[in-house]
Amino acid sequence: MVVVDNITKRFNGTLAVDRLCMEIPEGEIYGFVGANGAGKTTTMRIIAGLLAPTSGRVFIKGIDIAKEPLKVKEFIGYMPDFFGVYDDLKVSEYMAFYAGLQGIYGEKCRKLTDSLLELVRLTDKKEAYVDTLSRGMKQRLCLARSLIHDPEFLILDEPASGLDPRARVEMKEILKELRSMGKTVLISSHILPELSELCTSIGIIDSGRLVASGSVREIAEKLSQTGLVKIRVADSEEEAVRILMEMPEVGEISSVAGVLEIRVSGREETYVKILKTLVGNDVPVVSFHPEESSLEAVFMKLTERSNENEN
Amino acid sequence: MRINPVLQKELKTKLRGWRATVLISCYVIFLGAILLIYFAGSGMLNPYNVSGFNPRLAVNAYNILTVFQFALLFIAVPAITATSISGERERQTLDLMLVTKTHPGKIIIGKVIVSIAHTMLLLIASMPVLGVVFFFGGVGIADIARLLLFYVFTAFFVASSGVLFSTLFRRNITAIISTYIFLGLIAFGPFFGYLIHLYIKEQAAIVSSIAYTPNYGEILAILFPSPVFGFTSFFFSGSIDYYSFDLWGTVAGYIDGYLAQQTGILRLMKPWIANSIFSIIASVLLIIISTAVLNPIKRKR
Repeated sequence: MVVVDNITKRFNGTLAVDRLCMEIPEGEIYGFVGANGAGKTTTMRIIAGLLAPTSGRVFIKGIDIAKEPLKVKEFIGYMPDFFGVYDDLKVSEYMAFYAGLQGIYGEKCRKLTDSLLELVRLTDKKEAYVDTLSRGMKQRLCLARSLIHDPEFLILDEPASGLDPRARVEMKEILKELRSMGKTVLISSHILPELSELCTSIGIIDSGRLVASGSVREIAEKLSQTGLVKIRVADSEEEAVRILMEMPEVGEISSVAGVLEIRVSGREETYVKILKTLVGNDVPVVSFHPEESSLEAVFMKLTERSNENEN
Repeated sequence: MRINPVLQKELKTKLRGWRATVLISCYVIFLGAILLIYFAGSGMLNPYNVSGFNPRLAVNAYNILTVFQFALLFIAVPAITATSISGERERQTLDLMLVTKTHPGKIIIGKVIVSIAHTMLLLIASMPVLGVVFFFGGVGIADIARLLLFYVFTAFFVASSGVLFSTLFRRNITAIISTYIFLGLIAFGPFFGYLIHLYIKEQAAIVSSIAYTPNYGEILAILFPSPVFGFTSFFFSGSIDYYSFDLWGTVAGYIDGYLAQQTGILRLMKPWIANSIFSIIASVLLIIISTAVLNPIKRKR
């Protein structure tokens, strides 16, 4: 559905997106994760055809967006992170305006408006002025607007940002419905757990670079290859460090408040080997705790690693 | 036929409620008041007036009203159009429009037509006030129709200029100021250019001892971009005696004098016609440039 081919974007010499490549197959819910300023919005605006990349190309359904932007826009629904509304329009007029911009008029427009307002649970607000809606309602209205031409591909830039917990849950429920409708979705967030249960795959962006991309499980597994283990020993910390340093599987070692934190390449078998070696050398191990690779940890680790490479 | 959605939305929101009605009413009342004050000041409303009725007063009143409307067009239209795109940008609604399959050119045209429609609404609403001069004669319906046509072309140019600066600048205030400066240069710049031209020619005439006489071809070639030049066609010289001290009357009379000397095609190329042709061509170019600037794929940021 979407192919991003090596895009780079510079703003007055500042690199916002750096040789980014990604593919989103049809029906995929692709979570785009990154810290604020990582380049998520710029990338999404380029994919939506709202910004020209400095170099590289974007294809939607095999069509180059730079060559046929209007054709591509038929397939795209876009919801920005920040957006305004026309406060002197009613909800139904707001929908009719954007329907008109998509070439939808009359009865078809009315039917689509009704069904979309039902989807986003705003039917009872149809005749209300847009400026009287709450923030959560406006977000849902903006989502309905992005769906007015029944696009196959949705770009949702932080759709739940600024919402209270209840509105977040409501938004999540709507997104699940979109998933069941078979839409391909690119959704961004800087909060990982928000996406973990919704997405089929994720891409992690840091300083304009895609540092990881794949299914949630693939990325977690990839990261668990270099896990973090916390070990507490009684009185023999120096001896433990010496033994660990001799082991090729052990990478970086640090001591934080009497607890050794070691980076380990390998999985459970390696943890067993390390523990056996320590105990076999009479090191009094009080606790041995491999850190779970939560999505949050994955994100932190990946972005940390990319920063290290940069330095 | 489908109405441009941008135009449809703007007309709906701007004309809804009491604001538009009040605005139009105030405008017409204001014009009526100008007319009334003028007539009162001329003694026409005085029941003890023994000097008789002077029909030229109505023509003078017409001149005043047309100048007022022309000035309003230059003041009001940029204020509407210079915020048309930058306002959408400030309100964060521009991206939502550009992500649709509507061509950016259609959005620009919608914005231009909206401002022309607003201007026309004000001008047509003021027709009954202008029509007062029909009671006295001297100005015909064809004159007013020509004037309206000229206003439409001028509004087209002014609106297109406003929209261009609105696409170029992100902030409303920058766009508005730039539009006024640009329009000021277009309106009055050619007159300064013409004065410089006159000075150079006269200096050359002194050196060569061959008398220099300006001709309409030169005037046309330098002044045609200026809507003020075009507007001189609508000055009724029937009142020149009253306005002989007036700068506007002097300029209009000067140009009219040279036009009257023409016999060929230049005689047909009246100031308003020449300027209207310029306005149409320039407006189309401005719209094309605005579209290119607004087109996100071609825009650099």
